[in-house]
Amino acid sequence: MSALSPRIHEVPDDLLAAIDYCYEQGWTDGLPVVPPVVHRVKAMLASDKRPAETLIAKHAATGLELSLHSAAVNAVMAGCLPEYFPVLVAAFEAMNKEDFNFHGSAASTGGSAPLLVVSGPYGDEIGMNCDVNLFGSGNRPNATIGRAVRLILRNVFQMLPGISDKSTQGNPGKYSFCIAERARGNPWPLLCEAQGYAAGVSSVTVFAAGGFCNVENHGGNTPEQILASVADAMANYGCITLGQSVVILAPEHMRVLDDAGWTREHVQNFLFRHAKRPVEGMKVVGKFRDREYRAQHGEGAHALAEKGFMHRGLTPDDVLITMGGGDAGGHSCFIPSWSRGRASIMQHCAIRTSK
Amino acid sequence: MQLYSPLSSPPKRKAVRAPALASIEGARIGILENGKLNAEEMLNEVAKLFVQRHGCKVRTLASKSNASAPAPAKTLATVAQEVDFLITGLGD
Repeated sequence: MSALSPRIHEVPDDLLAAIDYCYEQGWTDGLPVVPPVVHRVKAMLASDKRPAETLIAKHAATGLELSLHSAAVNAVMAGCLPEYFPVLVAAFEAMNKEDFNFHGSAASTGGSAPLLVVSGPYGDEIGMNCDVNLFGSGNRPNATIGRAVRLILRNVFQMLPGISDKSTQGNPGKYSFCIAERARGNPWPLLCEAQGYAAGVSSVTVFAAGGFCNVENHGGNTPEQILASVADAMANYGCITLGQSVVILAPEHMRVLDDAGWTREHVQNFLFRHAKRPVEGMKVVGKFRDREYRAQHGEGAHALAEKGFMHRGLTPDDVLITMGGGDAGGHSCFIPSWSRGRASIMQHCAIRTSK
Repeated sequence: MQLYSPLSSPPKRKAVRAPALASIEGARIGILENGKLNAEEMLNEVAKLFVQRHGCKVRTLASKSNASAPAPAKTLATVAQEVDFLITGLGD
């Protein structure tokens, strides 16, 4: 618990002037923020029963800590409503797990952004978008929860572009990168179910994500055709590493898989087996490393790892795959992990609601 | 209008610098490489200069499995027993 009282800034009773004040303090992501007035912050905090001083994440490199209070201030600034707050809190509780490597993923030249995937009924309850224009603009919870993550990284953890955030190019997800998993028409167990949470409990999965790669295939009518496109995107010479993957299947593509009876595990195995490049090709582009090959093919290697090839990831479980997006269109996506290897492992956490 | 600050309180740090070595002549060197491309090669070249110019001896090559995470405490504790100073840095 922090022993210090939260600092108050007195500003004139002028909303536009307060917005400008937030800019002057360096508190924004470049877009205007909602001034974090006291009563809105208190309303945000009311959605979590714990004391406002409760710490939910710590930055190992600097010792900076995130309290519920600081999270609420930034959530207000991002435009969140109080009912969105449990998702934001759960996201940071997940990112606080050691294997997420919160510092490295926020500081690295790799330029990752935390992708949040909300699974279970809570996404619907707060009006999240899991449907058409999934990664696009226009939905308040998707936009503002993801934005609050960025504001916290900036304001609380001081991951400042060019100073402590050394992203070479960054990616647009650094403004906001937050979606809900689509349950309607989804033939597979939801992620929260696969993660082992009790019925009715929602979860958020966090993934240190690189940029978004659209996988277009309107002509494929078999699982093998659709998934060969996805696997090729996962294994392109720019993206292939030992890192994990997120694949969000369009409903059109999912229908092809479901009609053929393919399960999530079946698809994960296919993608791991086919998302690969030959060692010789990796050498040609200067990306082959002995120690990475040994990690994939040494003792304990997965049975689907083929000698003479580098696969994407270490096992089929490294592919998080589910469904999202609108009914029309053969557009799925692949989102690579941050950087080259196993430096960040995706994590998940239950969303703690007051109900 | 009253606005809450979105910043966190400054951390209470207890870090202190190790005292400087009185001399590096003949000192034992450790190398901590971070697993990135060329890290080991670059650090070995640096160590070689200490060997040539100051008669240092390279005793330990330790590796991190995760370039962007701090070295495990166990690794540092082990290396500290074996060397007088440690060379580390980024590869790529």
